[in-house]
Amino acid sequence: MSFLFGGPRPQPSSAEKIAAAEAEIEMVSNMFNQLVDTCTRKCIPSQYREADLNKGESVCLDRCVAKFFEVNVKVSEKMQGEAAQRGGAAGGGMFGS
Amino acid sequence: MEKKQMKDFMNTYSNLVQRCFNDCVTDFTSKSLLGKEEGCVMRCVDKFFKSSERIGERFQEQNAAAAQGAGPGMGR
Repeated sequence: MSFLFGGPRPQPSSAEKIAAAEAEIEMVSNMFNQLVDTCTRKCIPSQYREADLNKGESVCLDRCVAKFFEVNVKVSEKMQGEAAQRGGAAGGGMFGS
Repeated sequence: MEKKQMKDFMNTYSNLVQRCFNDCVTDFTSKSLLGKEEGCVMRCVDKFFKSSERIGERFQEQNAAAAQGAGPGMGR
């Protein structure tokens, strides 16, 4: 997740790189699992009359994914704004930049 | 990595059992699965895989678009 901390720094050892890559994979796969869970709950009715996705369900899933991403961006922007306001130069932390 | 995959698989599996059981099995007047309950469970599993496949496609598209907009990495 080096993109969070932009800017030059001493080149990371390969162990650090591997750890960072693992953390990123973990993050992406968690996000995907959440996405599947949330969007199927919201879009797929629990009667299961048919095994195939119908038109409405498919479109709902597509939109659900797009909106989930949008919400991600909004929340992260808001949190960054808040952190910048509160912490100023001192804070930094997870959302610094 | 294999360990994580195994863990993921088991997680998906148990979530799916839980979901399809809750959604499909509501009648406890008999001991074995009724025909309609079994059908429901089969459709539930089928539909779940199709949904997650479709979500995966959209997920990749969104990820690619985000990565293009914000340089390497993801989540934007």
